[in-house]
Amino acid sequence: MPTSPVYLEDKLREVRESGRMEYRSRSLPTWCPGCGYFSIVDGLPGALNEAGIQPESTVVVSGIGCSSRFPFFVNTYGFHTLHGRVLPVATGIKTANEALTVIAVGGDGDGFAIGGGHLPHAARRNVDLTYLLFDNGIYGLTKGQTSPTSALGFRTSTSPYENADPPLNPLLMVLSYGATWVGQAYAGRPQQLEALIKQAIAHRGFSYLHILSPCVTFDKTDRTYQNLGMHVTEVPAAHDPGDLGAAMRLALQVQTPALGLYYRESRATMGDGLNALAEKAMGRGARQRAA
Amino acid sequence: MRTDVQIAICGSAGEGTIAAGDILRSALAAAGYRIISFDAYPAEIRGFGKCVARLRATTEQVYSLKEKSDVLVCLNDEYGIPQVGEVRDFGAVVYEAKSITTLAAGAHLSAHLRPAQIPYPVAIRELSERATGATRSRNLVALGFLAGLYGLGVDPFLRIIDAKFKNKGAIAEPNRKAFVAGQQAGSQAFKLDLVSFGQPSAGQKSTILSGNAAVVQGCLDAGIDTFFGYPITPATTIMERLAVEMPRRAKRLVQTEDEISAIAAVIGAGYTGARAATATSGPGLALMSEMLGLGTMAEVPCVIFVSQRGGPSTGIPTKTEQSDLNMAIYGSPGDAPRIVIAPTNVEGCYRCAGKAFEMAERYQSPVIVLLDLYLSNRYETVVMPAAPPFEVDGDRLASKKELGPGYRRFALTKDGVSPRALPGMVGGMHVVTGLEHNEMGRVNEQPDNHEAMSRKRHDKLLHALHHPDFTQVKRFGDEGRVAIGLLAWGSTFGECLAAMFRARTEGVRCAAMKVVMMSPFPVEAVAEFIDQCDVVLVPELNYQGQFAHLVQAQTGRTVRRYNRVIGAPMPVEEIQAQMRALLAGDERKAA
Repeated sequence: MPTSPVYLEDKLREVRESGRMEYRSRSLPTWCPGCGYFSIVDGLPGALNEAGIQPESTVVVSGIGCSSRFPFFVNTYGFHTLHGRVLPVATGIKTANEALTVIAVGGDGDGFAIGGGHLPHAARRNVDLTYLLFDNGIYGLTKGQTSPTSALGFRTSTSPYENADPPLNPLLMVLSYGATWVGQAYAGRPQQLEALIKQAIAHRGFSYLHILSPCVTFDKTDRTYQNLGMHVTEVPAAHDPGDLGAAMRLALQVQTPALGLYYRESRATMGDGLNALAEKAMGRGARQRAA
Repeated sequence: MRTDVQIAICGSAGEGTIAAGDILRSALAAAGYRIISFDAYPAEIRGFGKCVARLRATTEQVYSLKEKSDVLVCLNDEYGIPQVGEVRDFGAVVYEAKSITTLAAGAHLSAHLRPAQIPYPVAIRELSERATGATRSRNLVALGFLAGLYGLGVDPFLRIIDAKFKNKGAIAEPNRKAFVAGQQAGSQAFKLDLVSFGQPSAGQKSTILSGNAAVVQGCLDAGIDTFFGYPITPATTIMERLAVEMPRRAKRLVQTEDEISAIAAVIGAGYTGARAATATSGPGLALMSEMLGLGTMAEVPCVIFVSQRGGPSTGIPTKTEQSDLNMAIYGSPGDAPRIVIAPTNVEGCYRCAGKAFEMAERYQSPVIVLLDLYLSNRYETVVMPAAPPFEVDGDRLASKKELGPGYRRFALTKDGVSPRALPGMVGGMHVVTGLEHNEMGRVNEQPDNHEAMSRKRHDKLLHALHHPDFTQVKRFGDEGRVAIGLLAWGSTFGECLAAMFRARTEGVRCAAMKVVMMSPFPVEAVAEFIDQCDVVLVPELNYQGQFAHLVQAQTGRTVRRYNRVIGAPMPVEEIQAQMRALLAGDERKAA
């Protein structure tokens, strides 16, 4: 507990003066009270503000799901697309205009069920965008069905006896697909979350931030604040983010998820590749003349 | 002298049949003849299946291939025998004189010629071996023989052979030698057939292009910025050619993981203001249909080239059909109107490709350009315009006054087109969503709003019916009241035009109308045409009569249909037979 009292007025002034409200829209989030996603809608504006990225040169792209309502709550350009298609739409945007900061957001169903076919390709191409994956292990917008990250034995309306399918391991997948920045955060640790979002955006290439978040409405037993708070750990200080093998071993630690930066690599982006291709096709130097 | 010669080259896949046809049509086009050409080949790459390269070289404008060829070249007896029937009386058949094995009686092609067909047995294999030391240049020997027999200039052939094989190592020289050996044999052969080439028509310089190549040229001339695609027959060659051409212009092409991703990226790129396109066939369009609905809802300009093939499902990938019209017009969840245009010839492929980008931008809508395998793969000589006839930037961008806190991305305007703000523009921030939204782009499910927005999305497209410098429909033949009218779309229109002109020479008052604008539908023009015909016949290459359905639903008038799903162009003679039956009131013969 704080030793001196904290007054709401002071807090409001502090937030207003920080400049981060420039990045929030007037629409209030439609999520349930207590939803972990509130920390993310607070974290992204903070990160953009600190990085000095202009709202009008940012596009937040989403799929369909609770998390995908996100673009409505931030004051940037936004594209709320189709279920599972956030990454290809974001890839199209970045390919056509490299000057934009592109943030893709979506949930576990959006990214790993219906949209699972796109993730390997966005990662291997190293599209220069940031993918914030809100993982609550459930379909919230359709009122509580099983998702690809739901625990074995978990009960929902579509697995009324129990979930017979083991969950997949998102971090292990993304690491093996060739993402060049991989990290994990927890909605219950908002300061760390904001710092990781900032790092992910600063990374040049495909950055993937896995955000563990409880669904307070449809999951009362498994991924609760209480359970997550008890089990999450930190990425060890000795971990080398340049070591892919070590990052994969860390990703295997599913019972006690580690928070922090798993892996970072510097590699040509898709845009770099396309520019090199154009140079080859036009003959060196010709590209500059054309531009 | 008028020239009208149709040549077919028949062989097995891998024998260089299609390559020979390609050299022949390019050489004849370079010599100044008008060309229309369409090859038939199997799905297998080599060693199986019959290939037939066919081309018609003329001095006058023609619209289709002829039913009977004047010359047949057979590189393979087995596949050649069933083709012999397509050669007219006093036409020529060139074939291998010395088979490597002793064939059973009746197995040799010569036993299958009709008395009036003129045989030219040529020692093709031997000539190839003698000239090059190998038998694989038999196709070039056969081509040389044709050039020699008909006194065609050698230079265009040699130039094209050099160009075609220049990147393939040391094979240009043997191929040249094989051609020359064949040419000498041909010039010494005693000519008995009634096939002759006159002087080619002088005049405007024309280019020989396939439908897909014309699409590519249209894209480049309209300033395409980005292309995302996934390979599928018969659309792949569009992506392949763009993959060569776009990087040369510092434009970007990406091969995506599937068609869903391709159209999604196209919509993402279109959203930023780029001119973006993809190309696919029916199965790919099916995968794209949900995303196309988002394109309509989010009002994003994008262009989709769809080359139809035999369906349903995987269907007959290497045969032509016109059975994706319904899907192109209607295939999306909800009321999702979009623009669909269908060119009828190779020149139309170029114009429609360029105009599609104009329309997409001007009406902020997905535009589908509907081709088919017959159109994509057929070659025609086209006189290209001196300068690209396309508007390169027609975006309705938001003005300074329209931007700011009250900016309405989906403002209800008089023409239904709202001012766009592109990402990066100050004061234009908004959210685009596939959910129903209000003028600001905010989610809104109120009935009044849903009706107003549905009306906006439909009505703005109606302006495309008056898009400048674009042929929506065109009538040919007799004017005013006619005994019979042909109404057609896509590649089949060429055959309809040929049938109509032939019927006129028989004294029938008739006309033919092509419809290029399929959605929104040019109701008035088509209804007026139908009203001027005693009877209207709609020939098309699908089983259900998809275009006939559309015409009847849109105009409230009845048409007669003629449907074939034969995987090949509609035979002109069959259209004529239907016309005769209808004119004679013979309901039994009319389909």
